[in-house]
Order: sequence, then structure tokens, then C-alpha cells
Amino acid sequence: MSKIWYDHLIILEEIGEEIDSATETHEEKHEMWRLVDEIVHHKVMHTTLKHLPREHHEDFLGKFHEAPHNEGLVEYLNEKIGTNIEDLIRQEIGDLAFELLEKIKGTRQEE
Amino acid sequence: MPNKPAPQKLTAEELRNKLKLAHLKTKDAFVENYPHAHKFLQEKGLELGKVREHSAKILGAGALTGTLLLTPPGNIRALPAPHEIVEKVREGARALGENAPQKILVDELSSHLPEKPRPLSREEEKFLERIFNDVVGIPAKGTLEGEHLNTTYGYIGAEQHLLRYPGDTLNEHGEGHILTPGIAPGKGAWGYFAPSRGELTPELEETEKWYAVVQTLYLPDWEERLRYLREWYKYRKVLIVNTDNGNAVVAAIADAGPAAWTGKHFGGSPEVMYYLGGPRYKKGPVILFFVDDPENKIPLGPVDYNDISLPEGSLHQI
Repeated sequence: MSKIWYDHLIILEEIGEEIDSATETHEEKHEMWRLVDEIVHHKVMHTTLKHLPREHHEDFLGKFHEAPHNEGLVEYLNEKIGTNIEDLIRQEIGDLAFELLEKIKGTRQEE
Repeated sequence: MPNKPAPQKLTAEELRNKLKLAHLKTKDAFVENYPHAHKFLQEKGLELGKVREHSAKILGAGALTGTLLLTPPGNIRALPAPHEIVEKVREGARALGENAPQKILVDELSSHLPEKPRPLSREEEKFLERIFNDVVGIPAKGTLEGEHLNTTYGYIGAEQHLLRYPGDTLNEHGEGHILTPGIAPGKGAWGYFAPSRGELTPELEETEKWYAVVQTLYLPDWEERLRYLREWYKYRKVLIVNTDNGNAVVAAIADAGPAAWTGKHFGGSPEVMYYLGGPRYKKGPVILFFVDDPENKIPLGPVDYNDISLPEGSLHQI
């Protein structure tokens, strides 16, 4: 199995369509899927730590390391941050999608 | 006003470079802003970009020992004995007549499955195996020959037709609405179905028509057991059940995906999606199990289980 607690918040369908349209081989497609996946992991962790008070960072990272799939982390974060972490991540991922698409489309205009 | 030139298609190389730059930038920003977090994870041996592999290892070990913590305890529902549902279907068939098994199956799934798709426990899968065998009439398993997907309860998304042989075109895949999704520009994960049009057998034609997509690339041991798993998954039959309406179809795995960040866990060919949910069905929750069919007797395509006779032997507990 492979699951991360924030998977349900990450929907980047348009990026997927761009990758599908640009790639011809399966290997190319999977390589790019992995790059986007890694961008997402860093972005989500960045967002989480930005909002989580510093004194809880190590505690959270320890829990994340032990069970990155555990959806109970949402409740933990909501309590420590005092706001809805899911909304914050959705917002950040929405911005990420916009940025990536802008870059991709920028390439086309330059041509 | 001059006409705007049509946007040119991005090459794979250009897209890769753009994504690599964005990847570096995001990673550097994280390390720069949160060096203590980077160090903490490094000391634990966890590279953030590889957290999916790390999760797979933990979940794989937990599945063996039964110590998974996937949801808060409040989301765990008590499962009835499968024979109670079979009996309900039998009584319903007498009282309600046509479509009773499907209607009762949908009611039972909605009562006993978690509201949001998530990986199921072994107990939940065993429960469903029995229901699918006795009510739907298909011997299907969450784990077959020791193999198990990352999840058996997730969202399925619409895929395009696949190239079956060099030179294949969309128009050769049927007519009308079934052509609307188009044809994928590249080959599926297992390449062409046949080396030429002349070598495309009716069986292979059916395989492309009723194909499914599963996330083999995220399997924890995919890289280590690549040669074996590639063969094991190639055209492996799966039972897909739409948990919203009970429509069921037997499909063959013929591509790998979707990406983890699409919000989907499986994919279905235009024909699979049409049967599961109609012409506008693009995404929805499904159960996907392997079909246990060593003699290759179960045909691909829709499963109509409203008129099956329920086996007497089904009235006992697992």
C-alpha cells in the first residue's frame, strides 16, 4: 500500500493532462508523475510547518515519520494550528497548480 | 485582427526541464526555511520526496501484522455476517422482483463501507469477497496469489482508448459516444496489444475494450519484483463494482496509473466507464478486486447479476 494523509486534498488533473499530451513513452510519463509527486510532498510539508507553531515541529515530524498514512494527523494539526489545515493545503496546492500551468503555458508562448 | 497562432505542443524534454526546475526550487525552499525539519527527517532516514515508498513499507508491514491505523476508530463499522445479506437478497428477489439483488447490494455497501474511499481492512475485504461471490456471482479477491493493490476501494477515472497495434486509429474503436474520450497518444504500460492489425485477435480486441488501469507503479515492491509483477498484472482480470449504483464489470488490467495526485486510484476504458455510470460518468467510487479465474472462463464485460440463482451453499458464514 502507499498512502499519505493528505492524498485526498491533492487534485492536479490539468497537470496530468499536460503530461499525458507531452509524453510518448510510459517511462517518460512516470518520471514526470514522480517529479510532480515530490514537488507536492515538499509543498505540503512547507505549508504545514509554516502554520504549525515551532514547538510542535519535532513532535509532528515524528508522528509523520511513524505513520505518514494516518489521517488522524489532520485532527492533530487542526488542534495545534487552531484552523483547518485541509483548507490551507487545498489553497496552497491550488496555487501550485496555477504556477506550474503558467510555466508550462509560458513555454508555449515563447516558441 | 490577426488570428492567434495555435499553441504548439510541448515536447517531453521541455516539460521535463520545467518540472525539474520547479522540483529543485520547491525542495531548496523547504530546506532553506526548515533546516531543522530537513535534518530531523534525514536523521530518521526519510527523504521527503520518497515518502510514498516509506509509507508503502510501513503499510505493507502493518497489513501483515494487522496493526494498520487508517482511520479514527469512529469510522470503523461493524460488519454483518455475509449470509445475512445473501438471505436478504433472496427474500428481496421474491418480494421486489427485478433488480432486487443490485438494489440490495447498493444498500448494503452504503451501510457497511466507509463514507470516503480508503484502503480496506482484511476483514472488510473478506466480507466483500463473500458478497461478490454469492450475490454478483464472480469469485473475486482483494488478495490473489499473495498480490494486493495499494487500495481496493477508491475512485475510478475515465481513460481514453489505447493503441492496439501500430497505425491503429480512433475510428476503429467503435462509433458514436464511445469515441468521445479519444485515443491516448502513447502506448499502454504493456505496449501494443498486437504487433499488427492482422494479429489482433478477437480476445485482444475485447481486452482493450474492457481495460482497467491500476497503480502498479506505487506498489511497494514494484521495482524489486518488476519482471514477475509485470507479467502477473498484464491483462489480469478484475471485478469493478460501482458502489453508488451496483453496476459491475469484469475488466483486464492494461495500463498503469493514474498519478497519485489526481485524486483517483483506478482508470477505466470508455466502455468500462459507460457501463459503470453512463455517458457522462468521469469519476466515482468503486471496489476493485482480482478475479480468481485460473481456467479463464469468466468473460470480460458487464456482469448482470439480477437474475442469478443464489447458491444454497452460500448460507454459511466465512
